[in-house]
Amino acid sequence: MAATALPQSEAGLGDRQRALADFLATASGAVGVEITRLELLPGGAIQENWGIDASFEGGRLVGPRRLVLRTDAATGVPSSLGRAEEFAVLRAAFAAGVTVPEPLFACADGAVIGKPFFVMRRIGGNAAGMRITLDPTLEAARPAIAERLGSELARIQTIRPPRDDLAFLPSYAGPAAQIGECRAYLDRHPDPRPVLEWALRWAETHVPDPLPAVLCHRDYRTGNYMLQGARLTGILDWEFAGWGDPDEDIGWLCCKGWRFGRLDREAGGIAGRAPFYRGYESEAERRVDPGRVKFWEVFANIRWAVIALQQSDRFLIGGARSLSTAITGRRATECELELLMLLDPERSPADA
Amino acid sequence: MRDLPASRDLLALARGLLLDELAPLLPPERQRDAHLVATAMAIAAREAAAEDWPAAVLTHLRTFYGECGEGTDILARFAADLRNGAVETSPSRAAAARAILWRLTVEKLREGNPRFLAANGFGNAGGQKT
Repeated sequence: MAATALPQSEAGLGDRQRALADFLATASGAVGVEITRLELLPGGAIQENWGIDASFEGGRLVGPRRLVLRTDAATGVPSSLGRAEEFAVLRAAFAAGVTVPEPLFACADGAVIGKPFFVMRRIGGNAAGMRITLDPTLEAARPAIAERLGSELARIQTIRPPRDDLAFLPSYAGPAAQIGECRAYLDRHPDPRPVLEWALRWAETHVPDPLPAVLCHRDYRTGNYMLQGARLTGILDWEFAGWGDPDEDIGWLCCKGWRFGRLDREAGGIAGRAPFYRGYESEAERRVDPGRVKFWEVFANIRWAVIALQQSDRFLIGGARSLSTAITGRRATECELELLMLLDPERSPADA
Repeated sequence: MRDLPASRDLLALARGLLLDELAPLLPPERQRDAHLVATAMAIAAREAAAEDWPAAVLTHLRTFYGECGEGTDILARFAADLRNGAVETSPSRAAAARAILWRLTVEKLREGNPRFLAANGFGNAGGQKT
């Protein structure tokens, strides 16, 4: 079980390698585990994902395995789940037949790597938004990918409260409470955001009739699923999941901010809405209501703007010296333009 | 009175050096950082070169409220009035409020992301590519 030497930049987890190997052995029932490779995977501003290649001697994972360890990054954003909770959500999704990496073990003991984490199987593929939306080899498959994303979403929504295993998720209080949370954030923010206030007022006066709550991923979008070729291999990043409205994730995926250079393809930059809706309706017990989706698409733009501002708060208030997070706040204005285009569509760009 | 070349020309030269000569030498995982730096430089250059549109927006707001005076508190007042629906007293007043929102947003994006503005049909919104 000799530890493999790690590059300097990875020493943060590398110096806990022996403790991690021991944990994996105990959790899997193995006699021993040898970690042959440990690498910090790209992406993940809020969470860190570490690729692990390990050889298991005995136990339920016997043999060579490729795994991912997911733990907190140095700084997070409000409202994301802890790793133990995210692990429980991932287990519920896996059990419901959603295409996700199989969750394996969770560890709340800070003595192992210094902070809570969970381990899942590593899946193949690519999640980078631009590489997916602009890949010419995916052209013919785009409607099928969008349809699959719709059916996967419907499967996620088969998970409904109450659930003992998800009892930590707060009850869904409805759109009015979500609007209130956004306003509370704006009240704390140093700069007035008139467009967001105007859009929140519209949302407040156009709240749709309620539907029974379902599990919302709350970051269901291009960039958070893996494709191997045209095959969906897994839906990732469940840290924002919670009970919510069935159309919230539809509005989020269709939000212009997640089209990655293909603004014309309204379902996540992948395809038009029709195949996405068709896939959803093929498994859901309801038809998509465009009026409800519009409400949630407006709210998606508001929420994405607030998240972008929270990112730059990490620099402005929290002192994080990250250019990437500091500059993200400017994306809020892109959301504001989209809000104006959605809610004041008669105005031509030439008038602006 | 300042020494030449002007700061905007230096910034443009520095950005070109970064993107054309330095970025290709970086490992793939740092390429994005180089482009982020270039984006920040482009924003700074556009802001330095821009007209004083915040003052123009404040003038529109003072006209909207029929007031004279200085300060940016009027923007907070505008935001509060939008929240509580106080600008919805007539169609014309609501339209005037929306016109200010459009102006504010388009001017911000002319500096922050003119490419996004153009991609949304706002013509050649000007500025360097980001």
